[in-house]
Amino acid sequence: MGKYWAVSKTYMKTQLVWRADVLFNMIFTVSKILFAYLLWGIIFQGRETIGGFTFHGMLSYYIISSFLLQIEKSEGISNEIHDRIRNGTFSKYMVIPVGIQKYFMAMELGVVLFYLLFDLIAAVIWILIFHIRFVFTDSLAVVGCAALMAAAGMIFMVQLNYYLGLLTLKYQGINTFLMIKNNLLALIMGSIVPLTLFPEAVINMMKALPFYYVVYLPSMLLSGKCQEEAVRGLFVIIAWCVAMQLVIYVTWNQYIRKYDGVGI
Amino acid sequence: MKHFKKNLRVLRELFYLRFHGLTVFRLDFFGPFFVDGSLFVMQLLAFGVIYSNVDTIGGWHQGEMILYIGTFSLLNAINMTLYFFGVNGIPYKVRSGELDLYLTKPVSPLFRLSFENISPGSVPLIMMSICIIAYGVHRMEAQLDAVRILEYLFWVIIMAILYYDMEVVIRSFSLYVLSMARMEQIEEAGIDLCMKLPGIAFYGVYKFIFYLLLPYGIMATLPVQSMIGDMDCMLAVYGIFVVGLFSALAHLMWKQGLKRYNSASS
Repeated sequence: MGKYWAVSKTYMKTQLVWRADVLFNMIFTVSKILFAYLLWGIIFQGRETIGGFTFHGMLSYYIISSFLLQIEKSEGISNEIHDRIRNGTFSKYMVIPVGIQKYFMAMELGVVLFYLLFDLIAAVIWILIFHIRFVFTDSLAVVGCAALMAAAGMIFMVQLNYYLGLLTLKYQGINTFLMIKNNLLALIMGSIVPLTLFPEAVINMMKALPFYYVVYLPSMLLSGKCQEEAVRGLFVIIAWCVAMQLVIYVTWNQYIRKYDGVGI
Repeated sequence: MKHFKKNLRVLRELFYLRFHGLTVFRLDFFGPFFVDGSLFVMQLLAFGVIYSNVDTIGGWHQGEMILYIGTFSLLNAINMTLYFFGVNGIPYKVRSGELDLYLTKPVSPLFRLSFENISPGSVPLIMMSICIIAYGVHRMEAQLDAVRILEYLFWVIIMAILYYDMEVVIRSFSLYVLSMARMEQIEEAGIDLCMKLPGIAFYGVYKFIFYLLLPYGIMATLPVQSMIGDMDCMLAVYGIFVVGLFSALAHLMWKQGLKRYNSASS
């Protein structure tokens, strides 16, 4: 366990090298908030509620979901694996005495812990600048459940991106697919519009998918909604993590033999 | 005229070279179409969801919003097909000193840089955008005459020029500063916001920023406003003024920047 914590600490320190990146990442979180502020500002003119949200409730949802999205930085894992398999340097991870997937988990943990504080500061600043009457649940149990769900959601995203990266062993180039995946996830994770505005049949379908529990449900829970789904949601996302781990195990054993270490 | 003909010949050769290069990596050929196509489809779905809960957004019904998304998609498709992959490479070529090769050729360096990476794989994106626009017009149930359509096409063309100017202005910073990452982040954030948000949503300081400083806010808004008959003379003059301003700025920044270029040590 100690060696993985060392990896996490190293990645935390690495972020400090790029201090301007940290600052600009904080500043650019404003684009999502500004989008929500202007779009919903114009939509809410003459309306009290939409889909059960007040204007400030809606902005609170965007603040929380944007915060969660900002600290979820596993997208780089699939790109890293993809690039390294293609140029033959994936061997770097095979010769060091660590489990490769655990290494990426530790890396993600280090980055998340580093950005947690800065993104929290950014969220508070946007709440003050946009004069948002922040809506937040008053139940500690719900906060705990949402935090666990968000953590399990991030583990799932690391698994997913690790799995997608491994597909390079079979398909050689998956860059285009990774970009399409990002576009799709933006919608189905509820970062463009809250999923509660979708038709009920679509919401029910999404409840069976893991992405519902990564950003959307934790954000809804923290803004005081959907509390009856908290415990069930936690079990669903944990079940998805277990299932994904099995898929990774099978994929790794099946495809790693194709890796020859000389690039494509 | 002679200069124009020469540039056309160069453009044709660049296209053949690029087409040959792209067909080597066949899987990547239609990559831009699938990536950007999925982006705009998601946006259509997102606004479809919003409109299932409200009737209008800032006075625009769903038809106008679909037209807006289609228009932005069309501008993006023109950008991706003609010049994005070329202009996007400018900062790297400045840093690596590769720009030397362009300066020593008997053709305008910016012209060659802009059009050497034409992307035929993005052409289906233009077709898809036209389909979205046609669907938007159908949903609006608007009676369009030839004048309206020509007006719309005129605004699309000059906004495509503005898009190009903005890209050149931002990439020209690489001739003045060491790192371009922040400028590209600003561009990305601006486009991402205005792609989802029509100009009618901006007011006050936001309007100043997205109508003048980073005029991504007018790019698809003005063509749509011309199509739906919501454009007055002042707005038209303003639109042309902004395009003229950024064309001059792009020309100036590029020309002045080249004077500062010291090969690989830039």
